[in-house]
Amino acid sequence: MRNLFNFIIRYGTWFIFAFYVIISCLLLLSNNTYQQSIFLSSANIVSNSVYSLASEVTGYFHLKSINESLQVNNAMLETEVLNLRHQINEYKTLLADTLAADPAKNRFDYVQAAVINNSVRHPRNYFSINRGSKDGVKVGMGVVDQNGIVGIVNVTGPKTSRVISILNETQHFSVRLKGTNFIGSLSWKGGDPSVAYMEQVPRHARYHAGDTVVTSGFSTTFPSDIPVGVVMNRIHGSDDNFFILKIRLNSDFKALSTVRVIKDEYKAELDSLQNFDFVPSN
Amino acid sequence: MNKEVLQFAALFVVMVLVQVLICNHIALFNVAMPIVFIYFIIRLPISLSLSVLFSLSFLLGVTVDIFSDTPGVNALACTLLAAFRRPVYYAYVPRDDKTKDLIPSISSLGVGVYCKYLISLVGIYCFLVFSIEYFNFADIEEIVLLSASSSLLTFLSLLAFDCLIITKS
Repeated sequence: MRNLFNFIIRYGTWFIFAFYVIISCLLLLSNNTYQQSIFLSSANIVSNSVYSLASEVTGYFHLKSINESLQVNNAMLETEVLNLRHQINEYKTLLADTLAADPAKNRFDYVQAAVINNSVRHPRNYFSINRGSKDGVKVGMGVVDQNGIVGIVNVTGPKTSRVISILNETQHFSVRLKGTNFIGSLSWKGGDPSVAYMEQVPRHARYHAGDTVVTSGFSTTFPSDIPVGVVMNRIHGSDDNFFILKIRLNSDFKALSTVRVIKDEYKAELDSLQNFDFVPSN
Repeated sequence: MNKEVLQFAALFVVMVLVQVLICNHIALFNVAMPIVFIYFIIRLPISLSLSVLFSLSFLLGVTVDIFSDTPGVNALACTLLAAFRRPVYYAYVPRDDKTKDLIPSISSLGVGVYCKYLISLVGIYCFLVFSIEYFNFADIEEIVLLSASSSLLTFLSLLAFDCLIITKS
């Protein structure tokens, strides 16, 4: 026993060293994007206040206010377009019936937010926005800027949230070649922050360089037909049945300033349908 | 002693803020990133007990990690760097009583020795941090390119910072 104590005292420093190394490795390996604690992300109160303060100083005041008003305007128009499109679809399906669609029901709504911290240089990038659960932001909501989609909300604090950027190797987005039904999975592979890849495109898909890539609308995160980027060229993958398209992203991730978080009023309903297991009643 | 503790506490805060507010947003030619906050570890007194050194380094790493959303990456690299610090120091400085209590700086070590000490630690750190972040030796070319360019940029930035401090005092 005494020897054991002597041993621990003599090598105590290295026990501390090993302890820190193990803790760091645990942090590193438990990097599960949906289970991270809010304290260890940039959405916590301290880092939020530091970043908010810094963005107050660095934001160019005039440009900021002008930009914000434009964004509000744009958001209103876009909400209107989406809701009208949704209503038209609803009328189309209900035309055979004599029932009228409920025009009061707006499916999508936006929350304005400013980007207070952003990174593009890591393999897994995140950015923080100044809206949180008090403003109605929830985990899993889609985030867009004026040019197209930029990410998905990942951690929410009361007044701030952290968003997984498209520039994150672990995140995939369901996208579609505009005007066709060819679906693929968009992911970023590091390096250039303006280039991503659309994978799993079926071999018979027709495309031209310069074609627009839009969201597929298959998830409740993004409405369909929000622009993502344009096709640059084709890359041969390892699988013969699918190919990979190189995509130039619309959004300039180095200069994100004002973004919008998309609220889908149908989300809870659609998600509960997916979890619904049919249990026969007696 | 108390004054020194305060100075290092201030250095800790300043370095973290400079890193997360300014340097985290810089990527020169998309490859060279200044990683200046390790200056705190580089400047800690050599006589400081290893336990304290490891604890401070880990704390520094975790703080930067929280701000830059890279959990564990800088914490692990900082703790490992702390373990490398003494061997690197004694590789350039003779082991005797005069060198035991020094705070590494240009004035205490001389320009040549200090530069060698600085570039070695910065190089080690950059290689560690990019290896941990990419975690895949298939990307070894990219890791080496990023480490080399970032080391150079960090080294020059820190040397400039040192010169600023000297002219001020």
